Amino acid sequence: MRLLTHNMLSSNIKGVTNGFPLLIEVEKVVEKQVDFNEDFLRNMFAKIEWKALVEASRTMGYTELPENSESSMLNSDEFLRKFHHALLELHLEEGALVCPETGRKFPVNKGIPNMLLHEDEV
Amino acid sequence: MVGSCIGVSSTCSFGTTLQWGPGLHTFISRGHIIDRNASVQVLNRTDNNSRKDIGIGIGIGIGKRVYFTAVSGGGRKMQTVVNAAAVETLQKGIAEFYDESSGIWENIWGDHMHHGFYEPDSSVSLSDHRSAQIRMIEEALRFASISDDPMQKPRQIVDVGCGIGGSSRYLARKYEARCQGITLSPVQAQRAQALAASQGLDDKVSFQVADALNQPFEDGQFNLVWSMESGEHMPDKTKFVNELARVAAPGGTIIIVTWCHRDLSPSEESLSPEEKELLNKICDAFFLPAWCSTADYVKLLESLSLQDIKAADWSENVAPFWPAVIKSALTWKGITSLLRSGWKTIKGALAMPLMIEGYNKGLIKFAIITCRKPVS
Repeated sequence: MRLLTHNMLSSNIKGVTNGFPLLIEVEKVVEKQVDFNEDFLRNMFAKIEWKALVEASRTMGYTELPENSESSMLNSDEFLRKFHHALLELHLEEGALVCPETGRKFPVNKGIPNMLLHEDEV
Repeated sequence: MVGSCIGVSSTCSFGTTLQWGPGLHTFISRGHIIDRNASVQVLNRTDNNSRKDIGIGIGIGIGKRVYFTAVSGGGRKMQTVVNAAAVETLQKGIAEFYDESSGIWENIWGDHMHHGFYEPDSSVSLSDHRSAQIRMIEEALRFASISDDPMQKPRQIVDVGCGIGGSSRYLARKYEARCQGITLSPVQAQRAQALAASQGLDDKVSFQVADALNQPFEDGQFNLVWSMESGEHMPDKTKFVNELARVAAPGGTIIIVTWCHRDLSPSEESLSPEEKELLNKICDAFFLPAWCSTADYVKLLESLSLQDIKAADWSENVAPFWPAVIKSALTWKGITSLLRSGWKTIKGALAMPLMIEGYNKGLIKFAIITCRKPVS
């Protein structure tokens, strides 16, 4: 699971008011090279929850992203590369996503999160 | 199946719907068909029926079966208990069915687990089917007026009930978009991701094990919400459609391609007993909950204030598909694959003539329903 996906996922357990962002428990991180596409990054920038991305990338061991961001940073090639790396090249291969309110863990195996809710969570 | 109903005005018969009236209903079922129908029937009655005599019950799910007792007198408790046990049973059934049969389907049909689109009354050879399955995707996109224009084409897509990701990969490639796929089957999700990696699409498509009735996404994420032949598995159509609408971005498009039963005429309250019996047999074999009509979907979309709602009946365009599936099952490759697979898959295969019967009788419709989410 890459952080682009993580930025879209939330815990929809019954009664949870804010299930985003999910916390990350890391067991295995893998880095996978992805072709750099500037247009895509510019397009995504407006949609990404930046704080969630920074937090998540730090949990995954990448500390290069600035705490805050603004669109003028998109003019910097260095920033774009860091954004690219964090968003697309870091993979949680094994671990879990954790509901920020209930602590409930959604396992991640072979890079695939299992987000199925139990019957009492629906 | 063993069933007995004791009550003032209740009837109970094998394989068909139960009539719940006031009184004490002691009902114990050990039949696969009747479990699901009974539980879904309770769901439907609560949704569609103004009568308030749904009972309070205690349900015990053991393995694939639901044993439950109902006492009428009002209240929603019965529904909750039966619903949870039955839905989890249904979900497990779906997941296991696809875990088991996905390999054999892929072997014979490639990575698209949906009907092909044909000219009506055409006779087709097996080699046409792959391109017909692609055509189905293209016809659906065209029907929904999805633009190829670089400024307007979809950029984030969700494939609801993605199978092994055939649609996800096709759409991601076609629009150079990103696609998320969700499926109940862990086997399918793994296979989908592996296929994506082998096709160089690993960075464009991602798969999650998740429930379409509780999509794990934040609101408004997707320009295109795609449900290709997965709607028939959803036990709660209202929730299913609600979730599709929730995750659609403002201005985004929803495309649902699914099996429905025929629309009811204004004078009809329900399908005939014979029609229901045929559907029940099919439901049992393919792990499908109760069917609804195309008109029901349209009503649901209207209730959510979605716009540009369009629906069409494509039954004639898929009719050549089932005889061809049967033909392929009867080949040496087909038979040996089936024999190597599990009972669930074989049962599914044996039900294929029922699908043909359903189409021929005008009972089963292959429908497309599309709409747009308003911009604000």
